[in-house]
Amino acid sequence: MKRQEATATADRAFDQLLNLEMEMATFTSDWLHCDQLSNYVARMVSHDRRDPLRHSNLLSSALNELLEMSFRSDTQEGALICVFSRHEQIERIELSFPCPSQQRRFYSELVRGLKHSGKLASYVEVIANETAPLEQAVLLGLAVNYDADIELRASSADALTFVVDLPLERLLN
Amino acid sequence: MTPKSSSPVFTTQFDTGNQEFVATGVLRPRSITDIADDLLLLRDKVETVQGVFYVNLKRVTHMNSTAFRALARVLIEASRSRPELKIVILTSSVVTWATQMFRHLNELSPNISMEIYDSAFYPGQTFVEDKSFIPILRTQTKMTWRHEREILPRHGLRCGMAIADICCGIGDFAMLVRKEFHPARIVALDHSVASLDYARSVAEDFCIRDIEYTYGDASQTLFESDQFDFVTCRHSLQIFDRPELLLRELYRICKPGGRVYITNEKNSHCLGEPRADSIQWTYNEVAKLFRHFDMDVEMGPKGSRLLLDTGFEDVRIESFMVTNLDGDPQEFADVIEAWENVYAGEMSVRRGDSPEFIARFRQGFRDHIFAALHPRGYAGWPIWAASGQKPL
Repeated sequence: MKRQEATATADRAFDQLLNLEMEMATFTSDWLHCDQLSNYVARMVSHDRRDPLRHSNLLSSALNELLEMSFRSDTQEGALICVFSRHEQIERIELSFPCPSQQRRFYSELVRGLKHSGKLASYVEVIANETAPLEQAVLLGLAVNYDADIELRASSADALTFVVDLPLERLLN
Repeated sequence: MTPKSSSPVFTTQFDTGNQEFVATGVLRPRSITDIADDLLLLRDKVETVQGVFYVNLKRVTHMNSTAFRALARVLIEASRSRPELKIVILTSSVVTWATQMFRHLNELSPNISMEIYDSAFYPGQTFVEDKSFIPILRTQTKMTWRHEREILPRHGLRCGMAIADICCGIGDFAMLVRKEFHPARIVALDHSVASLDYARSVAEDFCIRDIEYTYGDASQTLFESDQFDFVTCRHSLQIFDRPELLLRELYRICKPGGRVYITNEKNSHCLGEPRADSIQWTYNEVAKLFRHFDMDVEMGPKGSRLLLDTGFEDVRIESFMVTNLDGDPQEFADVIEAWENVYAGEMSVRRGDSPEFIARFRQGFRDHIFAALHPRGYAGWPIWAASGQKPL
């Protein structure tokens, strides 16, 4: 099976639970939207997990990191789209947001860096390094602390989609 | 969602006596300037202490990377400038992101360590976590439920409420409340993984999916404030060495106008006929034994004062006696036998009591069983139910 077909098959295994869309300008009008959205979405999709309260707390923490990262995007034209799906023990966040090409290249570089060995060492270094970009700390933090599998997906010309798979049930139990 | 929304609450303070920096709430700043005062307090205080400096994050429910890195940098700098100082970060076993994030600081500085706060506040838990105790816990709930199903409405429980059962144990009370009072939402929290596993398996067997079982620390839950119409906490304050701490948390999660319902025993008032003297002696000793392990099984009648001291209004209290005549006397006898096994067989041994004492101690339980099964006997187990309303 070709790689693209395998990915498509894997994607189909995920059941979509929630699809949230809002204007980027509305989203970025208040920093607290990150906190509120992450808590709200996490509560909604965690209700039938084994320990809904703790699942929601952990999921909110991961989602908030992604939302805060998109909040810092250099452009506000377009929509923020958050698709939430699930396959067995894995929660998938697909977060799309408008992003200029230069910033897209920056993120691509960071995500490529996650594929290399030594993620943990890189993360430990980034924690204490004031000059390391926050985005690097966020993505490494998700990969190391949440055991997240992070991909970038081609989106429309001016947008970017992060696909983040989180094995939260395993982390909690 | 509105631009006028208020920020989540976050506070920091320094406890000089314990050399402890305590943070509480949601820490998701946009930039480190938003938490500059908190970082300054941390930086200042870490300079003033000798020996061990504690950073208590047990009640921080969320923290973003911005805050984490800022906190980490202050602590790493302090550990490097003062290599003689030990820095201990206290996190909760309930809050997974915190343990995942803060475990790395030890790799950056060997003087920084993380302690995962766990069951230190539950001295009695280990005695009842044994799986063999589960049937007895179920029988106890069955025996008390005969009384409580009628008592609960007098304390304000109605159908359709949002209910939290804190220290739910094996979850049987939550199951009975769900069936009888059809709550809009019911959450059951306990700090015993084994008890929760059992509760979930029973719920699954009965195809019950609307009870939210959660692992948590009753004194520091992840619930938002003002969430529940009715909060129950049964037979648990008495085995908690700091009941006022737990009551404050029950108060916090209760809605204004909602009620908190507690039940506790007064073990020295357990009684029976015949052989009353032997029974009374043993249960007086039970109270002393629990006191030795920092538990107060004489708490029952103190419920009213405890609730008033916490700030509740319209406090109601009543007592009821579970007896051998309520149902099958053998069930009552089985419960006493289980008490004998735990209290005389484990706790008394752990206290270091002499074989003579333990033999006399056991005899009182056996006499209680004798009274319960005697055709003309009477055996009782008194319980106090109290509730208070959180002011509007």
